[in-house]
Amino acid sequence: MGKREVVESCMDNLMIEMVSAYCNQFYATKPELAARRIEAIGYHVGHQLSERYTMEHPRFSDHLEAIKFICKDFWSELFKKQIDNLKTNHRGTFVLQDNRFRWLTRMSISPTNTDLSQDSSITTIENKALQATSMYLYFPCGIIRGALSNLGIACAVSADMSNHPACSFVVRVKA
Amino acid sequence: MQFFGGSEISPAPSAPTGSGNNAHMMYIFNRNGVCLLYREWNRPLRTLNAQQDHKLMFGLLFSLKSFTAKMDPTSVEKGNLGVPQLPGQGCSFHSFRTNTYKLSFMESPSGIKIILVTHPKTGDLQEPLKYVYNLYVEYVVKNPLYVPGTPIRCDLFNTALDQYARSLA
Amino acid sequence: MAPVAPRSGDAVFANIERVNAELFTLTYGAIVRQLLTDLEEVEEVNKQLDQMGYNIGIRLIDEFLAKSNISRCVDFKETAEVIAKVGFKMFLGVSASVTNWEADGTCCSLVLEDNPLVDFVELPDTCQGLYYCNILSGVIRGALEMVSMKTEVTWVRDMLRGDDAYELRVKLLKQVPEEYPYKDDE
Repeated sequence: MGKREVVESCMDNLMIEMVSAYCNQFYATKPELAARRIEAIGYHVGHQLSERYTMEHPRFSDHLEAIKFICKDFWSELFKKQIDNLKTNHRGTFVLQDNRFRWLTRMSISPTNTDLSQDSSITTIENKALQATSMYLYFPCGIIRGALSNLGIACAVSADMSNHPACSFVVRVKA
Repeated sequence: MQFFGGSEISPAPSAPTGSGNNAHMMYIFNRNGVCLLYREWNRPLRTLNAQQDHKLMFGLLFSLKSFTAKMDPTSVEKGNLGVPQLPGQGCSFHSFRTNTYKLSFMESPSGIKIILVTHPKTGDLQEPLKYVYNLYVEYVVKNPLYVPGTPIRCDLFNTALDQYARSLA
Repeated sequence: MAPVAPRSGDAVFANIERVNAELFTLTYGAIVRQLLTDLEEVEEVNKQLDQMGYNIGIRLIDEFLAKSNISRCVDFKETAEVIAKVGFKMFLGVSASVTNWEADGTCCSLVLEDNPLVDFVELPDTCQGLYYCNILSGVIRGALEMVSMKTEVTWVRDMLRGDDAYELRVKLLKQVPEEYPYKDDE
């Protein structure tokens, strides 16, 4: 049986609603709680996916092997491309960079609008957009953490999107 | 359909350049009459403030749609003039032309209205308008940061639109 | 450029960006699970899923119309067919059938035999009363509202509850014409 697929916007819309429900509805005034829930949903997804994709895979000999699996096989299943760049300090920190992270490519906002004459409101909008975007990133961070946890690696994952639409995920393995 | 067509009345506009300076401006309205987007490329004369301008444009389309449906010689169901219709109900008008400009129009069944004002000699723009509708879907509707029903502020969309407007002959 | 005739759901599905359905299905499952934890009441989760679906529907309609090249949705009967044959196929890759029309043409059933939302799902006993796929009914309600049709959408059959198919009852309440939004004296 071939792999089942759905149209990309099904997934995109689901993420939009998940983030909106937690950020604007349940925890409108507590972004850190919203972030934790979104990350938890991602964790669960990552854990299950990793379980499925490693069923016939031999055990990984070390952390680097497991991280490489995430960069190649796992990322390809999810995004039809691999992580573009992997860096490590060989002391448990790994930086996974996707030069064109799919879930960021459609995010765009322009502050230059005629009805926004005051600089302060422009900054607010940019900040809001930045905040909203980072909320979305808790989801893939959770996915990566969940996937690695399933491979026996406890870690913390954060994201850096300063080079939008590139995105770097920083994995810090817990000693 | 064409209003005031046929003989050109002075002042005649310069011929279309062919190199893509033919689009004057574009409006996108939603079904509630909210102007989601106004984009201007070439509009030397402006007499109204933005809000009045948008309202007038929406009113023009609203009435014109109602009139064109009422005058439809092929349809029995006409309703009364001024009685609201469902988007997509009755016949729909595509464009009108004056001696100085042409207005092209499309409306989706969801009530999204796209209006493009161009040089009067521009050809049929139904396909380009559909293309713009697709751009709207890709860059606006699918932008997670966009709130439905609010004015569009998307760089990616504006860039894509400007580029496409320049390519219109 | 786009052909003038409406496109079939298969054709659109084949030409549109697609993603791994496992990711989608598991994400939906994880959301439902988290909502059950956070909202506690199953009834609240049903409502939340319906609301999320509604919000998706009001956005999805434009993608549906633009990609399928459908230029009018005025007749409820035609629209129901289009949702079943083109809509489901286009987004989820499965098609639904339209049955059980009421004589006056205002109420019908959409029947799904295959549903990617529920792959790998088994409902525990603690989830009695949960309409796991309630997001779907919300999507349909939201999308139809954007083409001027106010509807009520309810579940009749649910395979997760032991039925032989998924059946949604769609009832047209009224068609809402477009009003002139400005007052005359403005």
